[in-house]
Amino acid sequence: MDSFTAIVIAIFLPFVFAGFLSPLERIFKDKIGWFAAAVALVSFLLIAYVAPDIIHGEIIEHTVSWVPSAGISFSIYADGLAIMIGFIASGIGVIIMSYSNGYMSHEEELTRYYQYLLLFMGSMIGMVFSANTIQLFVFWELTSITSFMLIGYWRHKPQSVYGATKSLLITAAGGLFMLAGFLLLRTITGSFDLTAIFHDPYMIETIKGHDLFLPILILLLIGAAAKSAQGPFYIWLPNAMEAPTPVSAFLHSATMVKAGIYLIARIHPIFSGTDAWFILVSGIGISTMLLAGFLALRQTDIKAILAYSTISQLAYMMTMYGYTTYHDPGIGVAAATFHLLNHATFKACLFLVAGIVVHEAATRDIRKLGGLWREMPITFVIASIAALAMAGIPPLNGFLSKEMFYETSIEMGSLLGSPFNILIPALAVLGGVFTFAYSIKLIDGIFLGKRCDEHLPEHIHDPSAIMLIPAAFLAGLVILFGLVPSIPIHYIVEPTTSGILLETVHLHVQLWHGFTPALMMTIVTFIAGILVYSRYDNIANWQNRFNSRYPWISVNYYYDHLVDNAKEHAHRFALFTQPGGIKTYVNAMLILMIVLMIIPLFTVTTTLIPSNLNFEIPLYEGLTMLIMIVAALTAALYHKYLLAVIALSGVGYMVSLIFIYLKAPDLALTQILVETLSTIIFLLVIVKIPQTFRERIPKTVLARDLCIATAVSLTILVLLLNATQGIVPPFESISHYFIEKTLPLAGGHNIVNVIIVDFRGYDTLGEISVLCLAALGVYNLIQSREERE
Amino acid sequence: MTTIITKTVTKICIPLIILFSISLLLAGHNNPGGGFIGGVMFVAVIALTYVVFGLKKMKTVFDPHWEKWFAFGLILASITAFTPMIYGHNFFRSAVHFVDLPLFGEIELVSAGLFDIGVYFVVIGSLLFIFKNVGDDE
Repeated sequence: MDSFTAIVIAIFLPFVFAGFLSPLERIFKDKIGWFAAAVALVSFLLIAYVAPDIIHGEIIEHTVSWVPSAGISFSIYADGLAIMIGFIASGIGVIIMSYSNGYMSHEEELTRYYQYLLLFMGSMIGMVFSANTIQLFVFWELTSITSFMLIGYWRHKPQSVYGATKSLLITAAGGLFMLAGFLLLRTITGSFDLTAIFHDPYMIETIKGHDLFLPILILLLIGAAAKSAQGPFYIWLPNAMEAPTPVSAFLHSATMVKAGIYLIARIHPIFSGTDAWFILVSGIGISTMLLAGFLALRQTDIKAILAYSTISQLAYMMTMYGYTTYHDPGIGVAAATFHLLNHATFKACLFLVAGIVVHEAATRDIRKLGGLWREMPITFVIASIAALAMAGIPPLNGFLSKEMFYETSIEMGSLLGSPFNILIPALAVLGGVFTFAYSIKLIDGIFLGKRCDEHLPEHIHDPSAIMLIPAAFLAGLVILFGLVPSIPIHYIVEPTTSGILLETVHLHVQLWHGFTPALMMTIVTFIAGILVYSRYDNIANWQNRFNSRYPWISVNYYYDHLVDNAKEHAHRFALFTQPGGIKTYVNAMLILMIVLMIIPLFTVTTTLIPSNLNFEIPLYEGLTMLIMIVAALTAALYHKYLLAVIALSGVGYMVSLIFIYLKAPDLALTQILVETLSTIIFLLVIVKIPQTFRERIPKTVLARDLCIATAVSLTILVLLLNATQGIVPPFESISHYFIEKTLPLAGGHNIVNVIIVDFRGYDTLGEISVLCLAALGVYNLIQSREERE
Repeated sequence: MTTIITKTVTKICIPLIILFSISLLLAGHNNPGGGFIGGVMFVAVIALTYVVFGLKKMKTVFDPHWEKWFAFGLILASITAFTPMIYGHNFFRSAVHFVDLPLFGEIELVSAGLFDIGVYFVVIGSLLFIFKNVGDDE
């Protein structure tokens, strides 16, 4: 098996098995989660199969054409960056799907849950291996959609629906900005292929010098920031915590929110090294890091604390990618990459611990928790390892990447000179102080202190091994990466950094690296962090007071207003365009039809009524027409449904007779059958309703309807008269093509049928799909009405 | 509508009409007919039995899952559309093959005919699915 096939299977296997999960549920019953985990494991192994080549510096590129006319292809590009995020997505996927077997109760709709998880995993893997920007966009939005499904998994809960809608509106809209950026990028480069762009130094120079450089960068950054909850777009992530906790661990800490960071890393070769890159990326990063870290102190829900901390940790990475402009980019990129990896381990682990606490103690409120370390000793140890790693305590992995962050901050500051040589490291330390404070709060609030007996169940204990082992495994990685950093650095961070920078990079990271300025900053962080922690409640209270006094100083305030207004206006618009009564719709359609027909008629034809009309009508045709007119009048004038319906179907049957005269047996057959069927349906319906109708119609309504009807008939008459004169001049009939080609190309004598199933087969496929959808739509309408009753 | 005469006539007509609908489907490529017409013919006869014998009575005698019919039809039609791609041809490329069978003589096998059978099932399934649901609705 070659590498390309392996990657394609790794991407599409989850999609395929997501489809097969429903039938397989009958075999696996409530063990379906283990099956889903096995699928994720296969994807993981396939990526692992490719990984050795990538680590040795190879790059796998392969393209299959998709829409060649538009320059869109399905392109796989596997470098260190893609492999790393692919590893995280599939590896954490295995862990989460195993853990969910313990977390999700068997009464839930398990198949739906694992289907969404698998679909998400496939989309995420597909996204990171995409080289074509359109392909990247498709997978990007697929992750947004699956995230929406998972946040709204408990769809009866209003908060879930609110959180799901919010995340979809923000992340999917951000994706559209990104798409606009890619389209603009194409106007410069003429290609949707990202790798073709960043392998071409001349092209990168062109982009950097182009007027559209800044707009493109801003559009792409909006997409990345929306996805990674940066800047003002952070508001969706705290509400996304309504998802089941394993989902939060998977999507909203380890993988999906990293997509924005991934995009930043992917476009790094094209845009970095400019002032705009530094100001925008680092600017968003630093401000989000401080704001989210500060806001985290106020939260009382443990998952909300984790959400704000995720936002703040992602901002670290953003900042570091921005720092690469003025000096050797190796350190910043490597630091961000290492932190991305570390964050995936310790934050996913913390979320799993949060899941355990929720599962056992039945509350997420940190004020109601406390003193659980006696009852849950193993969970306590795991949680402490992960939280201390987040706080940056040696010898855990968070300490190492935070040290690297401080190093890059010092270098960046000294490069920019005064006052930045103080300011940038100071801001970095401040971010670290907040992180330290809320990390300690997590341990202290849940496991230490006094047990709140009135809020907690009587007996709390460590969960089953199914839930403990995944968390313990991640905690083990946290320690391993901290004690022996050369393993992740050599096998993951170096290839990734090389992939981002397009050059081979060698790094040396050691646990003990002497008394460096960065170490001094870490010590300052710890001291200040303890100080902040001692004033924790005061800060939280101050924030609460501030918020209640100035409610409009918050992004959520504007988001809610915007969405509420949009809903209200949409409602008004719907009332205006959809007033109810069928008559209004019919009138609107008929008037539109007249307008749309008259305009081309007047522009194309010279005379409205052609002069050379043929009035020689055979007697039988004339008779048929006469019966048709009588039947139509009967249908229009009678007040009884049964008679009107029969008269109407009489018109239809006469039309089919005309078709026979005109030697169109297929049309005649269809007309007869459809007429019969619709008559039967009419008869079925009118049994259930009053037998008479339109007893009293006001004169004005009658006059209006008569006008519309006459106008329609006249328009159709003129149209038909012109059409029977042969096709109007500028157009030529294409019928001769079908008459000539039907037999040699399709082997059939019936041209009508051959056109339907062969020449225009694609249209027919579309039509029968619509028919199926219509059937399902009718079913849903009827079912939803029954449910409401 | 439910007199003894209509009931008797309907009973006699059902097999004839169903056979006719199948013949319309199979003859479609060279003579008037085809999947859509055949399908509507089939729907019409089932609808007729619903009207004549009543939906409740019919359910006890003959009550297939119509949704499975249109699902099958759509899958069949899609497969005939995608199969040529496996052999490196374009999407929807059709093939004609003549086979000599004893008794029947020469028979023409067209891949488009398979597609037509898909159309046939979709038409039957979706229309009767709608029909039954609307009829069930009190």
